[in-house]
Amino acid sequence: MSTELTDAILAMNEDGALKIVKDRLDAGEAPEAVLDDARSAMTTLGDQFACEEVFIPELIMGGEIMKGIAAELKPRITAGEAAEKRGTIVLGTVHGDIHDIGKDVVVMMLEVSGYEVHDLGIDVPVESFVAAIQEHGAQVVGLSGLLTLAFDAMKDTIEGIDAAGLRGQVKIMIGGSPVDEQVCTYSGADGWGRDAAAALQMAADWTGGAA
Amino acid sequence: MTPTPQELYAQREQRFNDIVALKKPDKIPVMPLMMHYFPNKIAGVSNAAVQADHFLMTKLMKEATLKFGFEWGAAVGVPPAKSCEALQMKQLRWPGGDLPDDAPFQWVEGEYIQADEVDQFLADPNGFAMRTILPRIAGIFQPLSFIQFPPTYWLANAYSTILLAPFLSAPGMKEMFEGMAAFAADAQDYMAAEGAYWGEMAAMGYPCPFVGVGFPAFDLVSDYFRSLRGSTLDMFRQPDKLLAMIDVMLPASINLIIGACKATNTTRAFIPMHRGAGGFMSDEQFEKFYWPSFTALIYACIENGITPMPLFEGDYTPRLKYLATLPPGKVAAHMDKIDRKKFKELCGDTMCFWGNVPPSLLATGTPQQVKDDVKELIDLFGDTGALIIDSTVGIPDEARPENVLALREAADEYGVL
Repeated sequence: MSTELTDAILAMNEDGALKIVKDRLDAGEAPEAVLDDARSAMTTLGDQFACEEVFIPELIMGGEIMKGIAAELKPRITAGEAAEKRGTIVLGTVHGDIHDIGKDVVVMMLEVSGYEVHDLGIDVPVESFVAAIQEHGAQVVGLSGLLTLAFDAMKDTIEGIDAAGLRGQVKIMIGGSPVDEQVCTYSGADGWGRDAAAALQMAADWTGGAA
Repeated sequence: MTPTPQELYAQREQRFNDIVALKKPDKIPVMPLMMHYFPNKIAGVSNAAVQADHFLMTKLMKEATLKFGFEWGAAVGVPPAKSCEALQMKQLRWPGGDLPDDAPFQWVEGEYIQADEVDQFLADPNGFAMRTILPRIAGIFQPLSFIQFPPTYWLANAYSTILLAPFLSAPGMKEMFEGMAAFAADAQDYMAAEGAYWGEMAAMGYPCPFVGVGFPAFDLVSDYFRSLRGSTLDMFRQPDKLLAMIDVMLPASINLIIGACKATNTTRAFIPMHRGAGGFMSDEQFEKFYWPSFTALIYACIENGITPMPLFEGDYTPRLKYLATLPPGKVAAHMDKIDRKKFKELCGDTMCFWGNVPPSLLATGTPQQVKDDVKELIDLFGDTGALIIDSTVGIPDEARPENVLALREAADEYGVL
């Protein structure tokens, strides 16, 4: 593994990271190896976020750098060679709430950590969560909300998943500014998180991997 | 002897001011920072109805204040629907607009100034706001995006004003002026309702918490113009331009508050804070991008005789070391999520503690859980009395009435010092 690329990403050196990627590809290196290094940097970034060594700006900027690298690499990686997914997650902001900043950070971190993430967007009806779980065979569901109305919307959604007979096949995490242990108990979720690091940890625990 | 409304008013003002000044009060008050839809929800009235009828909204706010025995009339926090409709507002969504009648209004965050437009904004903030930002946030201003007005001073004489005619008759201009007139009429009605509400509450002995509102300059840039994503990327891609935008917005941040307080003869200002919380940036980024313009705003308020009431939204525990350096006894700190003990340890000699009762408890808990939480606060802060009871952002819309009553009962039971 080359540390040059991971170092550039962790230093938030966008231009430097993209130049290293191009140079390595021009030198004939396999795009998968380059992608592995970039992903490894994002995993380290997630660990640093969990330890409060970096914060949301680095996650967002890291995600942007990763997007640029992926755009460079994607045309050169065939579908069959794509990395194996660590698990399938359906995620969205619950009905009545149109906020997405926190959700988007969580989606980005889960994606770069190797999960197949189906982001249903904002103001998501209960039936859309149910349909997406069935369609994608999700193991984990993430419910996001910023408003206090989300407490009941999360409860509704979890009851809807239960009523569809899917509660046994998924673990459900909730998150958002006013969410706490009290809301977790009230809604019937399996876990709650204060930030993207907590979401990553729950996803890893529930899909049998390391965060 | 029962105090007169005037005496009650004076006592309540004094109590708040003493607590802010870190002088021990006679008791711990319950003072909600604001209420949005709680008053209408408990009255069985839809959010859309109070968003449209300002006098109905303030009537229900008055009833809620009296019913639950708060020590002041909570501030009005609901923007007027007809005003938003008249402007074809796109930066807000509201009940009765394209949201269901019982939804709350919600902010639509976006990059209303794109990354590559920052230079244009910095070169001419006023012109850029008029030609580019206003049309993006409100549909009626669309004509301003394509009409090439000459500089006003070119036309400021009797002969040249005729040259305005082609611009003023351009497509969409008539609708824009009609929309502005409709907006003005509804906004005046809103202000009249608010003014009548404060007058009535004062006559009954209930002070007004604040009228002036202003954001820290970083939040003006991030919330209003560049979005979280945009302002974050600016930190890395164009930090000098981000700082320049903050410098441009600092006078707005200060003067909007001072102007509102002077116009309404009030001495308190609400300062909601969004992007400086723990997790949103490192200490180094906070010191560079957030703290300097925030403290400039705080000191400007104090120098002008205004008590700043910052609402530290999010978890500010990692920032307590900064908060501890603010001038003692001058700032009414309203807290969202926070480590209470750490606050007491680091900031107990600097500022009072206001808020922090979790909305989850008020919306989904029991009265006993609420009372236990209030008791915990009073046990912690009762020795100095530098405490005001409230939830994290005023009374939550979904709060159970019995839990809101429990806030007051717990303050009465445990908070007499």
